[in-house]
Amino acid sequence: MLKILNLDSCYGESKVIRNLSLDIMEGEIVSLIGRNGVGKSTTLKSIMGLVKTPKGSILMKDKELIKMPVYERVKQGIGYVPQGRDIFPQMTVEENIELGLQPLGGKGKIPDYLYDLFPKLSQYAKRKGGDLSGGQQQQLAIARALVADPQILILDEPTEGIQPSIIADIGEAVQKINKWKKITVLLVEQYLDFVLKNSSYLYVMEKGEIVFQGKTAEADPVHVQKLMTD
Amino acid sequence: MEQFVNALFNGLSLSSIILLTSLGLAITFGQMRVINMAHGEFVMVGAYMTYVVQNIVAVVVPPSMQGIYYILAIPVAFFTTFLLGSIMERFIISRLYGREIDSLLATWGISLILQQAARSIFGTQGVNVTVPSFLEGGITINGCTFSLNRIFIILLVLMCLLGMYLIMYRSGFGKQMRAVVQNRSMAQCMGINSRKVDNITFAIGSGMAGIAGCSVALLGSIDSTVGQSYIVNSFMAIVLGGVGKLAGTVLGSSIIGFSGIFAEQYTSATIAKAIVLLIVIVFLQKRPQGLFIVKSRSLDE
Repeated sequence: MLKILNLDSCYGESKVIRNLSLDIMEGEIVSLIGRNGVGKSTTLKSIMGLVKTPKGSILMKDKELIKMPVYERVKQGIGYVPQGRDIFPQMTVEENIELGLQPLGGKGKIPDYLYDLFPKLSQYAKRKGGDLSGGQQQQLAIARALVADPQILILDEPTEGIQPSIIADIGEAVQKINKWKKITVLLVEQYLDFVLKNSSYLYVMEKGEIVFQGKTAEADPVHVQKLMTD
Repeated sequence: MEQFVNALFNGLSLSSIILLTSLGLAITFGQMRVINMAHGEFVMVGAYMTYVVQNIVAVVVPPSMQGIYYILAIPVAFFTTFLLGSIMERFIISRLYGREIDSLLATWGISLILQQAARSIFGTQGVNVTVPSFLEGGITINGCTFSLNRIFIILLVLMCLLGMYLIMYRSGFGKQMRAVVQNRSMAQCMGINSRKVDNITFAIGSGMAGIAGCSVALLGSIDSTVGQSYIVNSFMAIVLGGVGKLAGTVLGSSIIGFSGIFAEQYTSATIAKAIVLLIVIVFLQKRPQGLFIVKSRSLDE
């Protein structure tokens, strides 16, 4: 579904990712984990075109994304939920979700399953996004990324700063999205328990490179934890 | 009492003109944070376009129908300044986003170029438009006369305000515009071409200045500096109202317009200007972010 080949990414002169290759298989929930600052979020930003990628290739269903502007990449079927959520605080919940319809030309309506997935969003549809709690904002950001029916959903640390009960809800929602809509998920996380519970494939990243990969069910949690803390 | 009612009407009239020149700025400065020093010159271009349309209509249309020039001048002024704004954004402003001082200097340079261009084309002497016959005279109620052209300007402002509201809050483009203003990179991640949105947003703001120029043309002589006399008040109205809020711009324009007229009523024109400035300074000392403050949980964090 999504392939990254020999990718370099940098902020100005500083190279953050070196020669990275990833293969996100269709229908899987793939996690990219590692300590703070190893380049996980930069990898996602590279996919979206938000950082410079002087070398390498990013293929979405064999279509090269590297030279595409950000707004064109989204139209290839990518839904993106950034770290910190980045909802539009002055817009209502409904307007925020409707913005996700832009890849379809801004047309269409919000599918009912999104409100089934996150019932609070239906209740607060007319409230401003900025007035929601952190967990509700996270749900809003996920709903916004899903509304245009993407083929892959990219989530950057969806559990960051969120209370445990909502984390469980988000994990459940990710599973449902994957099962109901057959949407592939790429998840960047530091919260190992969440990853082990919710993903099917793991990549562990260290200093801009992949140091471990394998099926989550076959991975030794102690070894993975060690890789993340060493 | 008559004097008070007249002052009230004049205050309303001045407020509406300030509001009309401020509406464009509310977009370019309020939404995009571009301090466009050439905004006053877009007002001037709008005023001169009214003059040009009047002269063309005088040749083409029979004398009895020449009043329609003004109705034609409004869209012509809008689209001329819309186009100018679009070109200016594409070739100059877009290269200077995030560099406020540079864009301020560049747009100041453009304002000088536009002023000189106006002097070269239309001469240094001011030109006048004829008030269309349907806007001549006024309505007298209880001894107070309300001139028709000023009533027309108030209605024009209300229509522009409604138009702006519909564009910003009830259209798909408005939604894109607000998204780009609130979070540019996330708006792009939603599939919005932010470059295109920036360009059209700036062009709409400039187009509003063109319409303001049409109204200014009705009130006096048009020369290369006509926009300058309104622009300071407009910037003050935006800052006073709270940058980025349409309702704030309306209230800011009203405060400046009414206080200016009432101060002038009991003092002189120069003292009145000083009083308005003093009111703005004192107010901003107490409320630096203006009357309407954009608040949200995520912005507070």
